[in-house]
Amino acid sequence: MDLIASLYTGSGYWNPLVWLIAIVVVVVIVYLIWSRGESGYKKGTLQTTPFISGNPEPEKSGVHIPGGNLYWGYTEALKGYYSRLVPLHTGRLNDYLLWYLGVTAIIMVVVVVTA
Amino acid sequence: MIGSWELALIVLSAVIVTVYGIVVGLFLLGIDRKLAAHMQARVGPPIRQPFIDLRKLLIKENVVPDNAIAWIFNLAPVVALASSIVILLYLPIGSIYPPLGAYGDLILVMYLLTIPALCMVAGGFASGSPYASIGAQREMVTMIAYEFPLAIVVVAVAWRLAAAGIQDPFTLGSIAAHPIWSVAGPLGIVGGLLLLLVMAAVTPAELSRIPFDTQEAETELAGGLLVEYSGKNLAMFSLSQGVKTLVMAAIVVAIFIPWNISSLVLLPEGVALVADLLFFLGKVILVMFFSVSLVRVAMARFQINQVVSVFWIYLGLIGLVGLLLLMADAALPAAGVII
Repeated sequence: MDLIASLYTGSGYWNPLVWLIAIVVVVVIVYLIWSRGESGYKKGTLQTTPFISGNPEPEKSGVHIPGGNLYWGYTEALKGYYSRLVPLHTGRLNDYLLWYLGVTAIIMVVVVVTA
Repeated sequence: MIGSWELALIVLSAVIVTVYGIVVGLFLLGIDRKLAAHMQARVGPPIRQPFIDLRKLLIKENVVPDNAIAWIFNLAPVVALASSIVILLYLPIGSIYPPLGAYGDLILVMYLLTIPALCMVAGGFASGSPYASIGAQREMVTMIAYEFPLAIVVVAVAWRLAAAGIQDPFTLGSIAAHPIWSVAGPLGIVGGLLLLLVMAAVTPAELSRIPFDTQEAETELAGGLLVEYSGKNLAMFSLSQGVKTLVMAAIVVAIFIPWNISSLVLLPEGVALVADLLFFLGKVILVMFFSVSLVRVAMARFQINQVVSVFWIYLGLIGLVGLLLLMADAALPAAGVII
């Protein structure tokens, strides 16, 4: 297999190597612009504490976003869907097997009827 | 295989497009601010203001917070800008065929659009600030929200072109050469207009502008994922914002308004190139005005859960209706039904 050829999927195509060359060139130019800027700042002063509108910094654990809250907003907007789906995940293998058999049976019926 | 000639061409194109993307991007930000100011009965800053701001940011201190993961914090703005610029290499500029058009299509562009957003997420989480963490979390959710309608637009347009027998329907060159309006019938045109509406809503979300700027939200998150950024790092994010504005407008132009002056009026070759380029910039400004400037002046910010509802439920449904109309437009005449 030619690793540096374009990949054709039948509908689309792309060449990872060309993208890589382009991004490297552009990163170098952007880095040159970035490096022209001022680098210094006053380490260890109030400047380097997080900005929390003048309030003292809370405990790290108190403001950490755990994985379960990472998608808040998404799950909140689609709670009508999640509120039905989450209780179905009982954690019991018997339930999952029943779901598997039920869905397979429905698919078989659909396939047989449409065939 | 890539020969040395192609390699030199890629490098040269990358250099030229970087300069073009940065200059035009900053001008677009200036025009956007001017237009928004006039709509609010203000004089507004001069159009060159973003250039002045950039110069100012480059001489300001580049503070790296104590809590930050310094290398990710510094790398994110550079990669965000670079990855935004690279997308431009895959998009047509006026009548100029995209420099990397033969090496990637619209599906690739869709994926590349996620890289600047992911850089902002990485930079936000690496800031070590509660505001920035919430901003990064919201940016991620917003990204998931608008990807679905964006994918519907891309697939629907390409499907209609494929149904009309056009080769390589996902190629931006093909899409620009065969505008959806000239391929589709009356039903398809209605479907295309719905998809244009969806794309106009995706544009401000992709650019983190009102009403989809929950991740920055100055009034509640004090800048969100950019809260800890200053100096040259903030300058790179601000440049990236300008380039992304050009990228999104260029995608809308390529898919929905790809016509050039040279295809309408007979002009000498050199004049045609310049006329097409100016016409392209005019279309870009028009798209930016309607989907960014006008919207951000007229609307308030959505909450993050409303953003998801808007994209997944309302715009998702509008997009699907658009897709169905395009499918009906191709299928009904084939089945002998006259529309």
